[in-house]
Amino acid sequence: MDGETRTAWFCAYTPLEILDAAGLEPVRHFGDPEGLEKADALLHQAICPYVRACLAAAMDGGEDADTRGPRHAVFVNACDGMRRLHDAWRACFPGDFVYLMDLPRNQGSLGERLLAREFHLLAKALEDLTGKAMDTRALREAAQHREERRLFYLEKAQGLTGTARLRLAMGLQSTPAGERPEAETGKAPRGGVPVLLTGNLLNPEGLVSVLDEAGAEVVRLDLCNGDRAFSSPILPEGESLEDACLSLARGYLQRKPCARMADTRRRMDLLVEEAQASGARGVIYAGLKFCDSYLYDFPRVQRRLREEGIPLLRLESDYADGHVGQLLTRVEAFLEML
Amino acid sequence: MGLVEEIRDRYMDRLSPSTFRSRVFWKTVETLARSPINRPQWKADRVSLSYFIRSTRDAYLHRAPVVWSNLLVPSELVIGSGCIPFYPEMAAAVVASAGLAPRFIDRAGEEGFSSDACSYHRCVLGCALDGFLPEPDLLLTVNYPCDSAPLSFAFAADLYGAPHRILDVPLGDDADGLDMLASQMEEAAEVMVSLAGLSADEGGEKLRQALALSNRALREMRRVEEMRRRDDCTLDGKDAMGGISVLAGSLGSREGAEYYRLLAEELERRGCAGEGAIRLMWMHLKPWYAQGIFDALERHGARLVCEEYTHATWDELDTERPYPSLAGKVAGHFLVGAAERRAAHLARLARDYRVDGAIHYNHWGCRQSCGGAMLVKSALQEIGVPVLTIDGDCVDEREYQEGQLSTRLEAFLEALSPHGHPRGQVRTLG
Repeated sequence: MDGETRTAWFCAYTPLEILDAAGLEPVRHFGDPEGLEKADALLHQAICPYVRACLAAAMDGGEDADTRGPRHAVFVNACDGMRRLHDAWRACFPGDFVYLMDLPRNQGSLGERLLAREFHLLAKALEDLTGKAMDTRALREAAQHREERRLFYLEKAQGLTGTARLRLAMGLQSTPAGERPEAETGKAPRGGVPVLLTGNLLNPEGLVSVLDEAGAEVVRLDLCNGDRAFSSPILPEGESLEDACLSLARGYLQRKPCARMADTRRRMDLLVEEAQASGARGVIYAGLKFCDSYLYDFPRVQRRLREEGIPLLRLESDYADGHVGQLLTRVEAFLEML
Repeated sequence: MGLVEEIRDRYMDRLSPSTFRSRVFWKTVETLARSPINRPQWKADRVSLSYFIRSTRDAYLHRAPVVWSNLLVPSELVIGSGCIPFYPEMAAAVVASAGLAPRFIDRAGEEGFSSDACSYHRCVLGCALDGFLPEPDLLLTVNYPCDSAPLSFAFAADLYGAPHRILDVPLGDDADGLDMLASQMEEAAEVMVSLAGLSADEGGEKLRQALALSNRALREMRRVEEMRRRDDCTLDGKDAMGGISVLAGSLGSREGAEYYRLLAEELERRGCAGEGAIRLMWMHLKPWYAQGIFDALERHGARLVCEEYTHATWDELDTERPYPSLAGKVAGHFLVGAAERRAAHLARLARDYRVDGAIHYNHWGCRQSCGGAMLVKSALQEIGVPVLTIDGDCVDEREYQEGQLSTRLEAFLEALSPHGHPRGQVRTLG
């Protein structure tokens, strides 16, 4: 290890507790939504804009660690886009620690065993990197610390606008465990139309800000850079590293799932339950372009919400969302209908 | 007129889901396939065509349990468990070659499937929504080569109310990972054997036979490859690419082995293409509905001497250890894992087939392939192989801009011509 402990991560299934326990400082990258084309040399334009934005920012940052962020990176093989980001990153930064961790689609005991194996392999790779044995006590402490951050988020997110809520979630993800992001102050105005926002990953300054402007009260942010990363506690148990990894794997698989996981029925059930419990009068389904997991997920969500009688609006984001005017009209019309 | 066109023209006006469930329809198709209307270029094609007609007919008429499978599900596993493998991605290619894909792609669009998703899968889902595909008893996907298959199969599983199993191929090829994949395959086989009403012993014996037949096919396939590496091989990649259905869907059957045996024999007998052509490699798949791009290649004296997907990439299977063997076959595939593996496979092909250049066809919506295209390009350029990447769509003919493609292709070929790029000089790295 070259002394740089900051390590980039990108997917909500990254086991931050293991990275923390190894003495790294994991920070999530969100890239540069405005500068996607810089990634064209390595990634086709029909690839997820979040993926391209992350590569573009890293390629553009030169040697200044503050602007480019860390180049050590842990990727999760969650989708074709992420795997290709890993490939491109490795090609760009061959001297850095660039690790690809697998993520099974299966849940249940098979998925748990597969994911536990991946966590164990990652822990061993980090032992090789740092020269220090992975300590299960440190792992449990790291998890406890992450749990405190989760509770902090749940408390502070109450009553915030969608944009402020998403900024808070992203701030907690993009700062190391030892730091807290600045408090968000944007309070949602009273009398907004309560909606649940679901999808993959969005830019708080883009589509989400349009919802605020249109008068929506975003009561749930079911996004992978929003509430989903804070949906349930992950507190590994067990004295051996194998046991702790299995317990950690269970925790990650029990969290609200990404649409790429096999058990999509559970995801639909949770979505409906949450829409009903939160008092949302409608669901806004917003996804980044070229994200297959959500492109194939939408028709099923649409069928299910129709059955449940829950109004639904679909929006698409290119991550930068320069076309906010158009979006605003559609959102306003939807809210009016509710 | 070819067989597909003849069938399309006869049935176009009254094409309905029940057509495919009618014995009379399949009788007609079988008769046409045996008639002079069907003039396959190679004798082997008759064998594969007859196999796929029979297998598809049996799937529609439900003569055995039907298992929808994606590209990397080994057909040996399904055939060896007494079920009929049905490969919807291959079906989409047939629908596209018959010029019928737009109708079904639009149907998927009405259901909410975005035009940014892969058109193979949108076409399949449109066909499924309109009742044109055989109902599955089980849907089985490997989590590679792309995200689209497990995701679109999940929708289809809901639509048909059928179970969906995903085989998670762990990264890396260590023994522990292979064991985990082998047990998933064994569990899937148990389900299929039970669907087929076989005893465990009968299932075991059938699987051993399927693996033995697959090994026979592999030996013949290697003969074919040996011949294809010669300068004068008459099998062009644009035709060989159709063999992806044989490679993915018929190994484990007698016809799969027979196809490669006949092809090897015929290649040995022919062998008169002559030297001097520009030797090209094709990456990803072709537009199934268009011929113009290949005519342009021919006009410029270029031949596709190899293509990405239709080569043997595994060792003989151990009939006494079927699941670990099949797990090794799948996990060792070049599309599993990082793009480096794919690039290494393509660089090996480029060297073995002494290519002068390579074309990467960027099928719209294929993240795994387009996503790695630039890395593949740079790996090939490092060994002295010029690469042209062209954007297009394998299934949706409305996304195919022939004029634009031809211009770029011609410029590339001119640069490769004897007066342009020095030919046949692939460097070996390391």
